[in-house]
Amino acid sequence: MPRRRIAHLDMDAFYASVELLRYPQLRGQPVVIGGRSVDAPRQTGDGNWHYARLRDYVGRGVITTATYEARALGVGSAMGIMKAARLAPNAVLLPVDFDAYRHYSRLFKAAVRAIAPLIEDRGIDEIYLDLTELPGEARALGQSLKDAVRAATGLSCSIGISPNKLLAKICSDLEKPDGLTVLEMDEIPARIWPLPVRKVNGIGPKAEEKLAALGIHNIGELAACSPWWLQEHFGSNYGGWLHEAAHGRDQRPVVTYSEPKSVSRETTFERDLHARTDRNQLSEIFTRLCQRVAGDLERKGVLGRTIGIKLRYEDFSTVTRDLSLPEATADAGMIRRAAGECLKRVELGKRLRLLGVRVSQLESRSQQNSTGPQPGEQAGLPF
Amino acid sequence: MLLLTSSRDALLAPLQSVSGIVEKRHTLPILSNVLIEKLGDTLTLLATDIEIQITTHQISQGGGEDASITVGARKLQDILRALPDGEVSLLLDDKRLTLKAGKSRYNLQTLPAADYPRMQLNTGESLTLRLPQKDFRRQLAQVAYAMAAQDIRYYLNGLLMQVMGTELRLVATDGHRLALSSNTLEEEFQKTEVILPRKTVLELTRQLADSDDPVEIVITGNQACFRFGPIELITKLIDGKFPDYERVIPQGNPKLVTVHRASLLSALQRAAILTNEKFRGLRVVLEAGLLRIISSNAEQEEAQEELEISYSGDSLELGFNVTYLLDVLNNVVTDTVEIHLNEPMSSALFTLPGNEQFKAVVMPMRI
Repeated sequence: MPRRRIAHLDMDAFYASVELLRYPQLRGQPVVIGGRSVDAPRQTGDGNWHYARLRDYVGRGVITTATYEARALGVGSAMGIMKAARLAPNAVLLPVDFDAYRHYSRLFKAAVRAIAPLIEDRGIDEIYLDLTELPGEARALGQSLKDAVRAATGLSCSIGISPNKLLAKICSDLEKPDGLTVLEMDEIPARIWPLPVRKVNGIGPKAEEKLAALGIHNIGELAACSPWWLQEHFGSNYGGWLHEAAHGRDQRPVVTYSEPKSVSRETTFERDLHARTDRNQLSEIFTRLCQRVAGDLERKGVLGRTIGIKLRYEDFSTVTRDLSLPEATADAGMIRRAAGECLKRVELGKRLRLLGVRVSQLESRSQQNSTGPQPGEQAGLPF
Repeated sequence: MLLLTSSRDALLAPLQSVSGIVEKRHTLPILSNVLIEKLGDTLTLLATDIEIQITTHQISQGGGEDASITVGARKLQDILRALPDGEVSLLLDDKRLTLKAGKSRYNLQTLPAADYPRMQLNTGESLTLRLPQKDFRRQLAQVAYAMAAQDIRYYLNGLLMQVMGTELRLVATDGHRLALSSNTLEEEFQKTEVILPRKTVLELTRQLADSDDPVEIVITGNQACFRFGPIELITKLIDGKFPDYERVIPQGNPKLVTVHRASLLSALQRAAILTNEKFRGLRVVLEAGLLRIISSNAEQEEAQEELEISYSGDSLELGFNVTYLLDVLNNVVTDTVEIHLNEPMSSALFTLPGNEQFKAVVMPMRI
């Protein structure tokens, strides 16, 4: 097998950058995305623009993206907007416009695909690429990808190129924004080991905390641990993986096509709702979520067998419940009834802040018609 | 004010009868309470979850004044259960219920009886039948296990009760297996069918006695009522159409196996140990005079059991969820059972020798 050459491409502050294409006059200012449509900029009679500022925001939204200028003030994604307002009261708040982001997402992926066809989609603003078979030196290839993205969208991105996905992902973050980092295995001790363990995709806050308690803070310290010692503390799977990851070893292929595993929709309410006193309103929201999930299933041409719900209470505790249907469905009514059954199995005494509906165990419509029972499959009574 | 004085057991028994249906979680706080009503020398306890209501009436010799109040069912039951047997008094003062027993004294919060939601049995056209408790109890046991639990086809999460002429027939199915049990009534009735909710069925199975004393069943509108001993249980019915079960009971499956029930049961119980925990599938291989049971799990461990049977037809191999087979064998009491088989992927019919009143159908599993 030839030595692999894998790239991770990550758009820079994607949502915010797309908004700056629309409002170039805001360039250089702290801007956060996460408002509602009422927060959209208005042009006043004298031709000047009026923008919503964080300090005027009242509500429960969270930030999806912040420009680098806003990040410098300590504001970041997933932060509550009210909280961010204390850090950056004068930052401009713009509403989320997913349609626009999806449009630019398609544009940049198409531009990349024209150069490097083996793409693994990792969401709206990042992709992995397998460059192994492509001619040319890594840095030049990376630059041509960046140029193509900029030509197609006017946006910048950061790229990491290395022998595997794990390292590529770390590298794309090293020189952000507008970065291009090429890394070979023999550079790991010098460039990767000094980084904090959190830079490894797969080491989250919990593992970080546990590692810190064991005196391990950077990747080099992790690499120095014996695999059996890690397995002792983190279990055989995760411990083994930690050891491999610290040495920059990762065999995962770039997966160019994957079936959707589940389809879900959820919504956070404007104010917390109670199952009893806000019954009608909740029921309406619930039905609408089911209809939207059914619409998503329809568009993707799939049916789902497992219907689940997700509730988040006022105290932020979250519960999920699901149940499997005898047959896969994409029917909003069926999904609503099944989700209703799930709802009977959760506590409804506390106020709710979020409700979600998920359909999983997906199968394509054609598959549903063609296959017979699988091994281990229980036959049904022929009513 | 003294409500009543009674022995601990005389209070605990009816409380346990009614409090089984009290749900741990609900939106109405009062539903975790039991209603205690004292009228003359009759003591009534009542609990409900809105779908089912259970009431017990009994004679109370303890004196005391007329009153009614509701109090936390589980707490009262836990306290009574933890007390030694002996005399217990309930006293009501303002909004507190005090339970006294020997040197123990417990003050409990109450909610007014007037706020307690009570189900009234519909008036209007009704059908009333009676049969010995033990007969109805046995019939329920023979089919209850086949009910679905949380199926989206809500009408399967219960049990079909059919009255046809002099026949009382119970049918349950979860879509993979089905069980049917019938019994002969002393009177003749017009055809009536209702679906009892799963919880009602489980409650009846728990409470009916193994005695010749009668249970009176009243079906009226969307409710049914069961009266036996001191207990009255009113339940809502499931409003839905039960599937046409007759068409899935196989007629004329050619391969008949007669087998000793207890031997087959214990062989299956042993083989079940090495089935895949998720699918619980095992293979049943039929040869002349011999039944083999083979199971294996994800760790490649394997079990094999052999039983001598009276069978002379062609050999046949098929797969089953062992739980379904165990359920059938565990809930009948005969020495032998008959299994009627056909093709590897067609259903198996279980019957009892010389008995037309019980049938169970189990669909196979692809192994």
